[in-house]
Amino acid sequence: MLELRKDIFADERDDNLKEIGKGTQRQDMLGHVTGTSSYFNDHKLQGMLHLKVVRSTQAHARIRRIDTTDAERSAGVRRIIRGTDVPVNLNTLLSLINFGKDDEPSLAVDKVRYKGEPILAIVADSEHEAFEAIAKVKVDYEPLPAVFDVEDALKSGAPVVNETYPKNTFIYHDVYDHQRLRFGDADAALASADHVLEQRYQMSPIEHAPTETNGAIAAPDTNGRYVVYTSTQALFFSVDTCAKILDVPSNTFHFIGGTVGGGFGGKVDTLTEPLAILGAMLTGRPVRYVFGREEEMQYGPPRGAERIYIKDGVMRDGRVVARKIRAYFDSGAYTRLSSYAAVKCAAHLPGPYTIPNVYGDVYCVFTNRTPATAMRGFGVTAMDFAIECQMDKLANLVGMDPMEFRILNAYRDGDMKAHRREAKNTALIECVQVAAEKAKWPIRDEFRRASSRKDGGGSRAAIPPTPTDSRARPAAPAQQRTSYDRAPVTATREPPRDPPPPAPPPPPPRPAAPSHGATRFSSVFGTRRR
Amino acid sequence: MAVTVKTFVSASEAAGALSSDRTARYLGGGTLVMRALNEGDVSISIVVRAQDQALTRIDASGPRITLGAGVTFARVLAERDLAFLHAPARSIGGPAVRNMGTVGGNLFALSPYGDFTVALLALDATVAVQGGFGARDIPIEEFLQARERQTGTLVLSVSCTRPANTESFRYRKIARIKPKGGSVITLAAHLPLSGGRIAGARIALGSMAPTQIRARAAERALEGRSLDAATIAAAASAATEGTSPSDNALGSAWYRREIVGVHLRRLLSGQE
Repeated sequence: MLELRKDIFADERDDNLKEIGKGTQRQDMLGHVTGTSSYFNDHKLQGMLHLKVVRSTQAHARIRRIDTTDAERSAGVRRIIRGTDVPVNLNTLLSLINFGKDDEPSLAVDKVRYKGEPILAIVADSEHEAFEAIAKVKVDYEPLPAVFDVEDALKSGAPVVNETYPKNTFIYHDVYDHQRLRFGDADAALASADHVLEQRYQMSPIEHAPTETNGAIAAPDTNGRYVVYTSTQALFFSVDTCAKILDVPSNTFHFIGGTVGGGFGGKVDTLTEPLAILGAMLTGRPVRYVFGREEEMQYGPPRGAERIYIKDGVMRDGRVVARKIRAYFDSGAYTRLSSYAAVKCAAHLPGPYTIPNVYGDVYCVFTNRTPATAMRGFGVTAMDFAIECQMDKLANLVGMDPMEFRILNAYRDGDMKAHRREAKNTALIECVQVAAEKAKWPIRDEFRRASSRKDGGGSRAAIPPTPTDSRARPAAPAQQRTSYDRAPVTATREPPRDPPPPAPPPPPPRPAAPSHGATRFSSVFGTRRR
Repeated sequence: MAVTVKTFVSASEAAGALSSDRTARYLGGGTLVMRALNEGDVSISIVVRAQDQALTRIDASGPRITLGAGVTFARVLAERDLAFLHAPARSIGGPAVRNMGTVGGNLFALSPYGDFTVALLALDATVAVQGGFGARDIPIEEFLQARERQTGTLVLSVSCTRPANTESFRYRKIARIKPKGGSVITLAAHLPLSGGRIAGARIALGSMAPTQIRARAAERALEGRSLDAATIAAAASAATEGTSPSDNALGSAWYRREIVGVHLRRLLSGQE
């Protein structure tokens, strides 16, 4: 039986909810168990054509020539779409919130940057005829040296994966090639710690493996509009992404989503909708573009792999006094959402512990691998795995019980977090206590009596003197304007501060949008007005 | 060109259609052919089906059993007289796949699939095929060696001799995902005993070469000996001889070579 400790989580939940134990039926359950839930792919429209893409066989290559002569003559082929047919053939997903530069084409033009990158789209009467035409396309590649390892990609002389980011790292606020966290003097604390433990953690990409693969059906509607049935898990995000790529107002589209056959973050990238709509625009017919299973597994975006180095200083009494972290997010060939993952990761350091000296460098790195994207807690999950493995190893190193070791180092209400925010509503201690109790794991009395509400703050609320990095600060160039920006930018620059680095305020989404006047810092936007 | 589906009443007509066109492929349960079509295999443009009752017949009453090529794994599992084939049948896919997948189709399943065929290879099965030149019986080993050239022939049935007792036939599938995963290695051993000694040992391996193969060196190590620790160790250490595994997402060639002896030892010594 689930139990909520109201003494700890007093304000966490409305007591008048009476759902648990009642057998409430999920709203979509009846449709699922009777097989009547409607998915995007349940629409068979009259005259519907099928779109399939030619994918790169190379991880990194210049495209010398694309020969479609035989493919054009192939039976059932209605239209071959090239990169030049895409109105705005360069996009990055988070450009909708003015974050990052446009770096990814819908169809590769001069270069392919990962194996499986779409080069051409073929619209045909049937999927089989589209596949037959694909087999007849000849692409002449000039292979380029490829890089698959995040640290290799950062070395000087490494192949440039994506020319938008020549250093193979995402650039934050137009200046910074990684996310930084500095709190106290980690190096000095490591030098005086009783034990130092440095470990390397490596994750693999993880595929979301949805039952329903990514896909969309677009059909011309009246008044020049298009109806789009889609598997997207981010309907309005996909509408705006398509409006940008196809260079039309977003009210051109009527997106119909609904039941998603498994998303988990793998259906936000809007990979099929723009090409399906473009196919419908160019042929005047309904067009369906659905990933096959192998496409989904091989080229559908995964959770990105991460490499994490953690160097901790711990005292004999069990206190962790320093934590120094270097983390590399493998974004693959394009940004998608990994830039945001690195921000989240840096914001999560050093985990739910009060450590007086924290040093973090988090990189979002480009390699010639399948672009990564969102997946349940991305940016935090892998880092938490590494941190908790590290906590077990540290406990072992100082000869402490791992549960007690966590209670000793857990943050408490009133403590200063490494981001210079006061910790509130902390409950790690209580979680560990309950876990120990449920697992019949013996912990000593003093740890059983510990509380998140006691002994926090005070000296633990102090911001320690933090040495500034010696590296010279690069000058901030003017903010890049994305093609999605419709309002003119009136940049009012603020002098740089450290930390955090400010960016000029982005243009308001609508010129007449009401401003609340308060300035706040967002790790994504930099300083912005609300 | 669109895909054409041709359905015939008799197996011989289907065999004729199959042998007359290189782009024709026989559809049994569809677990391989439909997957290939859905994934864009343009080498198939004709799908041939047969409704011949003979293809779904099971003859399991005597010492020699015969399974029609269209017999599904679910039906093998429902047949009490085929208990010795239940372990390999159960190791294939999930219930949906076992309900559709057929004994005949399994002969054409490429690594990491084709587990039932590993069992049939150890049991020295005979494959009855109908080609352009009429029906004939082929030893399964010969059939597998020429498998790439067999797409134009229609498999009618598979037959083998029932093992003397449950101890003499053993099967083991190593998979990362249980119970439905593809094979890292599949092993089957037929060990007939004669006066306490092994006579006519056959060991078959799946995922250790482009097709299912026999581990002949391991068989030689067992032949004429009793199944004791020394014999098992000798067979296990000879397990990799003649194998040529390849890398795939489930395991590397190196890993397969490293573990095949371990699993053969466990199989022969009856360990779980």
